[in-house]
Parts: sequence; structure tokens; C-alpha cells
Amino acid sequence: MQKRINELLSRGETFCLATVIESPLAALPSGSKTIILRNGEMEGPLAETDWKEEIRSQAFLAFRDRKKKLLEYHGGMKIFFDILMSDIKLLICGAGHIAVPLARFARDVGFYVIVVDDRPDFAHPSRFPECEVIAEDFIPALRRIPVSSTTFCVVITRGHEHDAECLQEILGKKSDAAYVGLIGSSRRVRFVVEMLSRQGIRKDRLDNLFTPIGLPIGAESPEEIAVSILGEMVCVRKKGPEQARLLRRAVGVGL
Amino acid sequence: MTDREIFEKLEEVREKGTPVCLATIIETMGSTPREVGAKMLIFTDGSTFGSIGGGCGENQVRSAAFRCLLTEKKTEVIEVDLTDDLGTKGGDVCGGRMKIFVEPHL
Repeated sequence: MQKRINELLSRGETFCLATVIESPLAALPSGSKTIILRNGEMEGPLAETDWKEEIRSQAFLAFRDRKKKLLEYHGGMKIFFDILMSDIKLLICGAGHIAVPLARFARDVGFYVIVVDDRPDFAHPSRFPECEVIAEDFIPALRRIPVSSTTFCVVITRGHEHDAECLQEILGKKSDAAYVGLIGSSRRVRFVVEMLSRQGIRKDRLDNLFTPIGLPIGAESPEEIAVSILGEMVCVRKKGPEQARLLRRAVGVGL
Repeated sequence: MTDREIFEKLEEVREKGTPVCLATIIETMGSTPREVGAKMLIFTDGSTFGSIGGGCGENQVRSAAFRCLLTEKKTEVIEVDLTDDLGTKGGDVCGGRMKIFVEPHL
């Protein structure tokens, strides 16, 4: 079962793991686990019982509501429905002074963090504990990293040329990222966006760029800026991008 | 830690034959430091991987894990109360309660 769980997680699947917490039945001891896939297929001991359909429909409700839950049945049977999904990734382009607290806070919040910079002294594992650190030119590094609806991207390189090349790679990918944010003064940001638009980056993707990055909380120090960026990403993750934009518009921030 | 990192670590240590305990938050009431589904691995030397919130809660979980791994050898559900007045005992002033499922992988 352990191997199968890891196989599904590394493939990026979302599925339900139903664990028996308390059980009056010797044949179904506490701790036994059953996998319920999005297509309804079940693997594990609960699939062999009379409650198979009930378990499946509870798993579907958990998928729909994105809600993990503990349910109690007649006779003292308790089952925990967990939802396991692929990692929520944060890709940080630029390993400068904001990247350090941002990576650290993002780890605490549950992101899997990848940091890319072409300067090995900055993109150094000692600066980013528990993160994947890639010291390589931005373009070849970003070409290798897949972007999907579970990837958050933050572009905070040391200069607008590097910002532009990172964005060109990220926004040119086949799938949309969950979030793409770009740091910078409005002048620098406008310059980068105009340049990308001339290079043929899709307009809807440029419009969806979060820039200047972060919630408007008056952040100044690197740590404060990291909090403001992470606050915005948590909002996108939990409430969706529209609510994050609404917060920006409320105080007149953004393009 | 993400779920994938927890389950990968679990598989890695089980392949080496190392006993380990998996703790999962299965229910919360009120304000708690981590959400339902948060997980932590506890080893027989007391070291941990992942987090279910820190402070007293984690100490209670560690004791339960030792019971699971060393004496009882069966699963356990523990209830952690974080409503203690001003947190004088261990700083747990979140105000909520959580149920944690503790399962040995021997």
C-alpha cells in the first residue's frame, strides 16, 4: 500500500485515502487503508466490504468539497477520509535577499520550493534549507521544470533582462501556472511587460501576471516583502486568484 | 513537509526496517496550529519529520508514539487540548482541540 501511495503521489495524482481509525471488526483492523481514485476505482480492504458504495460516495464528496473528514458509522466504525495530492510547488527565480525568507516561510506553509539563479554563491543549498536549489542559467533551468496548475512562480531576479527571460519561459509553457508574480517598480514592470508583449506572449497570460507582486501591506524589509508575497499566494491557493486581485484593486494596486 | 515527502520518507525508513510512527490530525475544534490532514513521523529516538503544530501538542504525540512503537504496538487516537489558561504550561494558547491518529509502522 505504501509503495502504491508513493507511486500515485509521484505521478501527481489526487486521490482519497480512507483509513480505519476505530473498528469493531477483526477483519478490518484500525490503520487499514483503502485508496479511492478520482475515477471511483478502489484498492484496499474497504473495497471488499458491503460499504463499498458508501465509502466511494463519501470520497467523491471529499473531492468536491476539498475537505478531509472523520466519519463515524453504526457499531463504532470510524473512518478518516484524507485527500492526498501532488505537491504545491513554488518556483523562485532569483536567489537574492527576498528569496531567502520567502523560501523559508513558504516551506513552513507547505510549499515544495525550487530556487533558481545563475550565481552559485546565491543559489547555494546553505542559504535554502529543505529546498531544491538550481545554480544554472535561467533559461535552460526553466526549460526543464514543468509548470502546471499546482505551480506558483515568483520572479525576483537582480535585473529586468533576467526577469524578462524567466517570464518568457514560464508564460510560454503549455499549461498555465497557478500564480505568476513579478517584482519591481511600476516603470520596470511596464518595461518588462511591453517587451514580452512584443515577443508574442499571450495577452491573457500577461494580464494575469501579479505585478507589482504581493498584497499591499506596506512591506519594506525582505522579510515583510516575503510575507506580502506569501500572503497573496495563500489567498490564491485557498480562495482563488479573483479574491487576491480584489484585495489589490481595493487599494488601487496593479496594472 | 508535503504529503509526498512524508510518505516517501515513510517508505524509505520502512525499507531499512526502521520502526516509525505516523501521526495525522483527523479532527479539529476551534483554533489549532495545523489543519486536518497535517502529518508527522516520529522515530524511536524521539526525532521527528514534518509537523502537527509544535509545543505541548507535539510532546503528547511523541509520548503516544513511544507507547505505540515500544509497548502497546497498536494504533491510538489522542486528544490534544490547547485551551490551557494563558498557556502557562507550554505556550499552547491556540484555544482549540485536536484529535490525532497515531499508527505504528513496525
